[in-house]
Parts: sequence; C-alpha cells; structure tokens
Amino acid sequence: MRRAFRWPQLAAAVFLLVAAEALSAHVGSPDVYYEGDAGPYHLFVTVRMPQVIPGVAEINVRAQSGDVHTIQIVPMRLTGPGSNLPPTPDRVAASKDDPQFFASSVWLMESGALQVRITADGTKGTGELSVPVASFAQRTLPMPKSLGGGLFLLMLLLVVGAISIAAAGAREASLEPGQTPGPANLRRSRIAMAVAVVLVLGLLYVGKTWWAIEDSGYQQRINFYKPPRAEMTLENGNRLVIKARGDDPRWSQRINMGRVIPDHNHLMHLFLIALPGMERMWHLHPERLEEGAFAEDLPAMPAGQYQVFADVVDERGFPWTLVGTIELPQVNDGKPLAGDDSSWSGATLATTTGSDTFQLPDGTRIVWERASAPLKSNVAMDFKFIVEDKDGNPVRDLEPYMGMACHAEFVRSDFTVFAHVHPSGSVPMASLELAQAGLMTAAAAMPAGMVMNGTTPSGPLPAVVGFPYGFPQPGDYRIFLQIKRAGQVETGVFDAQVE
Amino acid sequence: MANTIPLAQPLSVQKAVQTSTATMSIPWYIWCCMFSVVSSVIGIEWDIAWHKSIGRDSFWTPAHMLIYLSGVLAGIACGYLILSTTFQKTSPLRDASISMWGFRGPLGAFICAWGGVAMIASAPFDNWWHSSYGLDVKILSPPHVLLALGMTGIRFGTLVMAAAEMNRAHGLYRERLERVLFFAAVFVMAMTVGIFQEDTNRVFMHGSRFYMIMMFSAPVVIAMVAWVSDNRWAATIMTAMSTAVHLAFVWILPLVPAEPKLGPVYQHVTHLVPPDFPLLLIVPAVVFDLVRQHTGLWSRWAQAATLGASFFVSFLAVQWPFANFLMSPASRNWVFATTNYPYAIPPTSPWVRNVFVATEHSSAQFWVYIAIALGAAIVMTRIGMAWGEWMRRIRR
Repeated sequence: MRRAFRWPQLAAAVFLLVAAEALSAHVGSPDVYYEGDAGPYHLFVTVRMPQVIPGVAEINVRAQSGDVHTIQIVPMRLTGPGSNLPPTPDRVAASKDDPQFFASSVWLMESGALQVRITADGTKGTGELSVPVASFAQRTLPMPKSLGGGLFLLMLLLVVGAISIAAAGAREASLEPGQTPGPANLRRSRIAMAVAVVLVLGLLYVGKTWWAIEDSGYQQRINFYKPPRAEMTLENGNRLVIKARGDDPRWSQRINMGRVIPDHNHLMHLFLIALPGMERMWHLHPERLEEGAFAEDLPAMPAGQYQVFADVVDERGFPWTLVGTIELPQVNDGKPLAGDDSSWSGATLATTTGSDTFQLPDGTRIVWERASAPLKSNVAMDFKFIVEDKDGNPVRDLEPYMGMACHAEFVRSDFTVFAHVHPSGSVPMASLELAQAGLMTAAAAMPAGMVMNGTTPSGPLPAVVGFPYGFPQPGDYRIFLQIKRAGQVETGVFDAQVE
Repeated sequence: MANTIPLAQPLSVQKAVQTSTATMSIPWYIWCCMFSVVSSVIGIEWDIAWHKSIGRDSFWTPAHMLIYLSGVLAGIACGYLILSTTFQKTSPLRDASISMWGFRGPLGAFICAWGGVAMIASAPFDNWWHSSYGLDVKILSPPHVLLALGMTGIRFGTLVMAAAEMNRAHGLYRERLERVLFFAAVFVMAMTVGIFQEDTNRVFMHGSRFYMIMMFSAPVVIAMVAWVSDNRWAATIMTAMSTAVHLAFVWILPLVPAEPKLGPVYQHVTHLVPPDFPLLLIVPAVVFDLVRQHTGLWSRWAQAATLGASFFVSFLAVQWPFANFLMSPASRNWVFATTNYPYAIPPTSPWVRNVFVATEHSSAQFWVYIAIALGAAIVMTRIGMAWGEWMRRIRR
C-alpha cells in the first residue's frame, strides 16, 4: 500500500518544533447547527450527534413561520452509493406547545459523511433541504456499577448452575427411575464437574478476550475519527509546511489529503492562534503540495507559540480539522496578506471584562445583540451582530467574504473546542454543496447568508450578520467574527463565559 | 448400536414405563418447551429479517416478543415442573428426576431453566452494549452469544427431556417421542450452524474456511441424532425437517411487505429479506445414513473416521458446484432467493456482485483448512456419537 505522502527532503529547512496533540473530535463540537430554506420555509435545524455509532441523533427543527404542518426526516449517505435510496422518512408533527417546533430522532447507522434530509410540508407546498453531518463515535460508556453487579451475580448463577447441572446429570440422569447413585455415578459426577469447570472457565476466558478485542476495535474506530495531527515544519524562515497524520495508522491510507475538495474557494483554511491568550490570530489559505502536504508562506509575525487548526473537507464530504501547536521564530520578511487572508491582534482573552461591542480601527463598531441572560452550553442560539458606522448607523458597504456574509471561529480558552461557523451554521460549505446537489429542488434549498460563487450581489449586504450555533460545553470562549468591507477583511473579537 | 435398554428392570421402573406407555400423549412440559423453542426460532428468523429489511426496531417488536416469550415460557414451565416435582411427594416424575441444590426435576428441565436465565441476563447486557458500543447490527457479539447460549440451553434441554421420556417409553408412544426428538434436534442444529451464518454466505463457499466452520457445527448434531434414534434414516429425516423449516422461512418471509426505516439504504427493499437458501446438508446426511448402515460393527473411531470423512467429502462435492449455481442468474428467483439483499449491503459488496471471496491467503492455507475441516468432521462425528450414546442412556 502506498503511503498518502512521504517525508520530503527539506533542504535548508529549519525544523523548529512539532508538538501536536489530539484534542477531542472535530474539535470538541460534534453537534450540527444549520439555518436555511426548504423551499418556501426558513428552517433552523439542530442535530445532536450520538456518542456511539450506530446510535440515535436527536433532530430539532424550528420553522421561522407558522405555516409548516409536518416535517419528514431521513438520514442518508452524503455521496456515493446509499445517497440516492432513502429509507422511509420519519414524519414529525409540530409540538403541541409550540406549533413551529418539530422534534424527532434518527438512527445513524455508520460513521462517515452522512446527510439528514428534511422535507417540510405546509400551506405553501413542499420544500426540502439537506444538512450534512459528520457521523463518528466519540467514546464508549462505562458500565454502571449497579448493572455490573447484577450481571456479575447472574454470571455467577449461570457458571455455578452449569457446573452443578453437569455434575447432577452425570450422577443421576442415566439411572433408572427410583435407583440411587452408586460410587461409579459419584465418580462420574466429579469428573463431569471437573470437565465443566474447565469448559466454563475456558468459555469465560474466550468471552473476556473477545470482549477486549471488540473494545479494541471500537477504540480504533474512535481514534480513526479523532482530529488528525498537523505535523509542521518551517522552511526558509517563513514557509510553513503542514502534513496530516491520524491517530489510527489506517487514517493516512484511507483519507487522501491529495483529493480534498474546495471549501468556499480554498482547499484548506488555516488558523494560527497565539498561545496562551489568543491575542493574535491569522486566517490563511495554504496551497496544496504533492502527496497531500500543504504549504503557506507566512506573513510577518512575532515569535511565539501558536495553536494551529486547519480545516479541510475530504472527497466524500467529511470535514477534518488538523490540530497542532508550533513554536515560531520572528518572521520578518513575510508575505503580505492578500486575497482572503486575514489577521488580527489585540487583547488577550478576558471574559470578565469582555464587551458586546467591538470597535474597528476606523471607528466602525460591531455589536453583538445578545440577551442579558447568561450563556448556556448545549443550547442552540441565533447569534446576531450589527455592523455600525461611527455614528451608530448600519453600514452599507459589507461585501461577501469568501461567498459568505461573515465567518466566525469559536475557540475555547483551553483550545479543546474549535468551530468554524458561517451564516448557514456549523456545516462546512463544501459538504453542504454536496448535500444540495442531491436534492430535487436544489435551487430552492438555499443556505442562509450564502452568496453564490461567481455572482455579484445586486447591492450591499445587510449590516446585520448572524449564524446558528451552540457552545458545546461550559467555559471561556473567544469568538472571532470576520466580515469584509470595501475590499478589506475586518475581524471583531468577543469573549464569552458559558455556563 | 452402542447401548441397549436393560431387559431386567426394577418394579418401580416398570411402573414408570407402564405409566408413560399407557399415557400415550406427550407431557405438557415437553409441549411447553417445544412451543418455547418454536417461538424463539420464529422470533430469531423474524428479527434477523427485520434487521435486514426495516432496520429500526424497539423492545416491543413482535419478533422480540417471540424471543422473550421463549425464555419466559421455558423458565416458567420448567420452574413449575421443578417446584412441583420437588414439593409434591406424589409427583409421577419424582423417581425419574435428578436432584440439584435441594430441588428435583428432569435434567432437561434444569437445562431449560438455565437457558431461560441466560436469555434474561443477555437483555440488560445487550442494552448496555448498544449504549456503549452502538447498535451491533451483527449476529456474533458477546451479548448475542449469551442470548444464543440461553436459546441453545432451552433447545438442548428440550432435547434431553424428550430423550429421557422416549427412553422410558415403548411402542407408538416412543415413536411419537422420537419425532419430537427429531424436531428438537432440528433447532439444536439451527443454533450450531445458524450462529455462523455470517460466515457461511455463498461468497465464502469456494474457500476452505467455510467447510471448516461447517464441519465444526453440523456433523456433531447429525451424528447425535443418528445414535440416539433407532431409525436407520434418522440423520436424513432430521436434516430433511431442518431443510423444510429453512425453506419455509425462505419462501414465506418475502410475502410480508417491508421497507427500510434506517439509512443509508443501498438496496431497494420492498419485503422482509429472508435467509439464504439452505445449505445442501441433506446430501451428506443421506450419505451418512447409507454409510452408517454398513459400519455398524466397526469400532467407534473407525465409524467416526468413515462417517466424518464421507460427510465432509459429500458436502464438499455438492456445495462447491452448487455455489456456482447460486452465483449465476439462474438462481435469481423466488425459489433460491439469491437477490434478497439486506438494505444495508453496498452494491460494491462481493455478495451483490456475486463474486467469491478468498478467505485464505495462500493455497497452503487453503489445504491446511481443508485438513482441519476433515479432522473436525471426524472428531465432531465422534463427539456426536458419544453425545447420542449418552442421550440413549438418559432416563431422567
């Protein structure tokens, strides 16, 4: 089997530090939040992913209008075989308490790139949309002590029972009715008991070994879908070369980094975030080298340790986030930022002094419209930000940034959570395009905030940008909100404490 | 034949035998256990077809109900039998029972009760397994094997109970009990062979591992039946009954409409997907009976070697070419049901593409497995003979 890539000879390269660590999966934010149109109906969809696969995903759908009567939900593969033969969909009626809310659950039977197809029926007819989901097992659950104790007692009963039955059967089963067992029968009984003990213990040993093998196989599947390590080297002072390496040795054989697909115009979205306080951030777009490696000529940046997240989408539509850390020297003669590349620097993460308003250098302000209530984890939220000029008026010069009204990156203070979110939600745009392609009414199923590539919007974008998302766990987060105005990418930063 | 029933019997034995012979009807507890076995057989086949066709299930599916009914019925019937035999001093089975932990009852009743407990224990184990490792859409998993052990216990216990009753009976009643015994043996073989059905798909039939698995699982039951019965066509009758039951599932299940309720769906399914066409065990069973009729005076091991080898060779000789037929378009009809793919089988699968899968890495490994299969056929036949001889001796 050919390896996905080889270590190239990096002549004159300066090998600085490769200190990658695998964090929790994708990265620590497995649930899917999506906002888009199913024909005439605007829907907000939350997919709570199961801990184990096959497992049950909880699906919540909220219709923006009250004219949706029923929702049909069906899981399918995103691409390839299985993406064109849906199982019988689940029909979900509106909640009795909230007629615009629909709750259901679906079985996700395999790992990989799947989609949840949703069809809405209402007074305006039928519309459908598709939400790509990255399906993978996250963990195994330990056995509760009470259940373990009960099963142990049952096992003891079965073991002692089997041995006793063997002994009693050998002693008496062949006796004529009424006959009492003699010494020969008793001797045969003892032999049967000894044989039964050996067989039962052997069976228990085989069972235990088998269980361990099954558990190991399952752990391998968990490891396979853990975020791959970003292994990095620095060449010629500023050329960062990135290679992906999975926790599971089969990862590099099965996931071809040479065939990742463009995600809103770029094969990789690279984020370098200064450790430990996130006081600097770069959003760059490396080019692909031979054999699946990626390279980026870094802009000028100060020396320091950086957390690296690199988003790619494989050919099947499954999103991967490469994770690593790197100690960089001062980069002086860096490549100037151009195109969609962007950077930000400012204060370190501080949720206690965090503000809902972020001021850009030219006086423009980005205001996070949030409720006064504390932020809660695992709650689907509709994030809204208003971009105002220095006089407090909504700006009229917002432009699409890589086809979107905005991009946002959610990073937890300990870097165990990283989510790259768009107006349509947490799904990668490349996966979404694959999902849309399979819909009968693809043209009508428009994700929120998406500006079609190659088209020019008829006017400026609205000054209000937003996206659906939910913090996956409590903690301190930094939100990097990126917009584009007058050809310039601007980054607003908001710190949040989540309970 | 190995053993004979002693002519001189104690008075109490004669009384018991007379009672059994005069009764002329199968005892209620054997009927209960038979019903339990049939319930589990239908339940399991239905459940497997359900998972192949519909996918999504719950605790309350009819198939699950039949499976659990099996355990509950066997447990209650045998529990009552054991308690009544223990505490009713006038119980007719009191002298024809064994004692264990202070309780009395037929050996088969204790084995059935053990099977019921194992089945019940498998339920919470399986539930936890699903929550920890995901729903296991396969037959061979530790909790499923515990369930299978429980079901095997009930089937084996029923067989033992029928054998004990038969061995105490004469005449027409004995013949009736022998038919019950054949029927019980069918389902014992359904366990020993059926548990490996994931490894006995037609794609594996041109690999030696398939034959190795079959020789470990089939001859032991066939030899047992042949040795416990006086019928010279015992193996043939039991295997014919097994094939008929299997064919019934193959032909009846597709009459039930069904459609997948889980994704991804790779196959268009409109009805319950039945099991594969039965293996041609009937041919080696006939050969087994024919050879047995000419080796009656041989030593045990000589008989086992001859019968095991002839069983293996005849099975190989018919199943190998039959696999070619099963792969051919000629088999794609309702009779052989070779186009009944579960919804979750990808079109790239060898099963769907009708290509054989090499289960051995080299020709050397192939022949090693063939040698193991031959050895297994002989040893398992010998074990089956000993099992049958032991079954002939059972009186309680």
